[in-house]
Amino acid sequence: MGRVVITGLGPVSSIGTGAREFAAGLVDGRSGASPIQSFDSRGFPHVHACEVHDFAPAELLHRLRTNEWGRSGLFAAAAARLAVTDAGLDLGAVAPDRMSVAMGTTSGESQVVEALTAQIVAGGLESMSPALLEQHPAEQLGYAVSEELGVTGPVITLATACSASNYAIGHAYDLLAAGEADVVLAGGADSVCRWAHAGFYRLGALTESRCAPFDRDRAGILTGEGGAVVVLETWEHAEARGAQPYAELLGYGLNCDAHHPVAPNATSIAACMRLAHRNAGVEPDQIDYICAHGTGTAANDATEAQAIVDVFGAGAPPVSSIKSMLGHTMGAASGFGVIASALAVREGFLPPTINWRTPDPAFAGIDTIPNQARRATVRVVQNNGFAFGGNNAITVLGAVA
Amino acid sequence: MTSFAISGWGMVSAAGVGRKRFADAFDAPDGPVDVSGMYDDLPPGPAYALPSFNARELLGRKGTSFLDRATAMALVACEEALADSGLPLDRADRVGVTLGTTVGSLRSTSDYSRETLVAEKPYLVNPVLFPNTVMNCAAGQAGIRFGLRGVNATIAGGRLALLNALSYATGLLRRDHADALLVGSVEEFTPHTAWLTRLSTPDSVPGEAAGVFVVEPLDTAVAAGRRVDAEVLAVATGFAPGGEITAALATCVATALDRAGVAASEVRFVATGEASDRLESATLPDAERILVQESFGECHAGTGALQLAALLVTLGRAGSGTVGVLTGHTRRGGVGAAVIKGATACPR
Repeated sequence: MGRVVITGLGPVSSIGTGAREFAAGLVDGRSGASPIQSFDSRGFPHVHACEVHDFAPAELLHRLRTNEWGRSGLFAAAAARLAVTDAGLDLGAVAPDRMSVAMGTTSGESQVVEALTAQIVAGGLESMSPALLEQHPAEQLGYAVSEELGVTGPVITLATACSASNYAIGHAYDLLAAGEADVVLAGGADSVCRWAHAGFYRLGALTESRCAPFDRDRAGILTGEGGAVVVLETWEHAEARGAQPYAELLGYGLNCDAHHPVAPNATSIAACMRLAHRNAGVEPDQIDYICAHGTGTAANDATEAQAIVDVFGAGAPPVSSIKSMLGHTMGAASGFGVIASALAVREGFLPPTINWRTPDPAFAGIDTIPNQARRATVRVVQNNGFAFGGNNAITVLGAVA
Repeated sequence: MTSFAISGWGMVSAAGVGRKRFADAFDAPDGPVDVSGMYDDLPPGPAYALPSFNARELLGRKGTSFLDRATAMALVACEEALADSGLPLDRADRVGVTLGTTVGSLRSTSDYSRETLVAEKPYLVNPVLFPNTVMNCAAGQAGIRFGLRGVNATIAGGRLALLNALSYATGLLRRDHADALLVGSVEEFTPHTAWLTRLSTPDSVPGEAAGVFVVEPLDTAVAAGRRVDAEVLAVATGFAPGGEITAALATCVATALDRAGVAASEVRFVATGEASDRLESATLPDAERILVQESFGECHAGTGALQLAALLVTLGRAGSGTVGVLTGHTRRGGVGAAVIKGATACPR
């Protein structure tokens, strides 16, 4: 099986757009939280989210007509275009059928569905507009990337909720390692939407304005949005064109809790970690950093920490949650995790968990990199992704040897 | 070239529950039925739905009260498929699910969104229904119900959902991520899908379907003595930027046939998902066409499952070794094809 490398990063996020700005945001511990603007938040007790206020798709895209696609598709395509540019990849030099696209999402074109719902409320089901109906299927996210880049190879949209980017990037690994593609654009995208805000609030999982993973007094997530796409290539393809990879994708693992629709299961998550290690050919003591799922809910962080201790014992590496900065970007979250992990490996730093104030005794043995990014040699990173439906997906990255 | 077996399957469609009901309706379609009693807010006209579908009767009371229709249909189809194949679940950590969909349940999501707009307070939504708004709900529930801890995946693909799920699943099996997978696709019939069908493709009759197929390496199925309905020889998918679908689909079919080691002249049947647009008719012109829409309506993500089921029934009667192809496309430019070889000499 061939080796797979990450050669380009394309983040469109509330803390920065483009690899350089995003990296600076991570190093600075920038918060993407702000008062909600994309929907009418009156009547909600909590009114903060991590929206991408400055998203300007027309400036980032070369081919797509922005009025033909929903916000999530535009995030996906813009992130893919940024990644291709960052990779220094000349698309004209790659056979379009040797390229593939794999995108992950939780809610697809959620704002389109909300717009359709507003039409239904105002005028009944018969008043849904065909133009919006054409934009609403979640598979559009993959198509948006393929259309923007002119890719004719396989395109897939994995709708596995909040671990979906890891599924997509793992799928890219499989395609490339088997020689079925030379280049794959993979990642995820989602948009902030009112119903998710309401739903998480109603579950008691939405914090007011600060997302504080691993803090004793953590109160839940902030919803977030964006597009996180990376360029993955076979080692041979990258080497032949003189590309300088950020990191190598060593492998990934997938499993399912089969336990509860929303509550995570520590035993199953630990099993997924072991599976990822085995598939990536690494031992726990080789891992220098865990990019946590770290949503900031009481349940997730406790369960995730329990699984980490189960697998790593007393020797757990530092763990941080970039959701402290980005909020929970849903299907894009583990894609941002891969981007952060690749930057950690290449630039030699550990992203912080910001908003941390009070230690939780349950995490006594774990260094959660509170508040300040830190210089470090990072050779192997484990990037966690968990989700409703017990859909667990973990990717493992390594320094290019 | 590794080959994969379909060693059992289950179906919920307008024909009823189970593969026999499907085969009967495939032979002698009843036509769409009066669905006016199913919901308020339906557009006028009949549909290819199953008004008698009762989730609690079929699945029991425990854990079924809050399932949406798509999830319930998928669970019934999974249960049928597992029973049909006799697949043992002693290594449940190596058995998974890959389900195709359009947006999960548009009704669940839109109704939830609606509540935030019309309720007295925008956060007065029902927390129990929140998981139904997420597209991986059906696959996640299948994992829970049957204790399947292997790979659990949901793929958004609309008309191509089943082909995408099959491509993804065979890839997972080839790379040893799982021993067996329940591969399927599902679309429920609700006022939302009924209206979106009417508004988007006014000539179509809306329908619903959930089909699930047990897919595993051929060697494993044979060694375990499981009945092999058919082999999945190859799957190919692609995209046509700018929407030049006909040429892209032809390339896709050629790629799939090449991977399968099958010549176009050997293909006896083609199951397509289309009705009136006939974009797919240029491929394999000598093969006998199976148009599932004519018997089951426009079932969106359920279409692929109907196509595969129709092929299995047809190939099962045609004699072992008969080859059929499943083709699909979406308006935005996705294309796909799968090459299926019948294995069972006698239909069940």
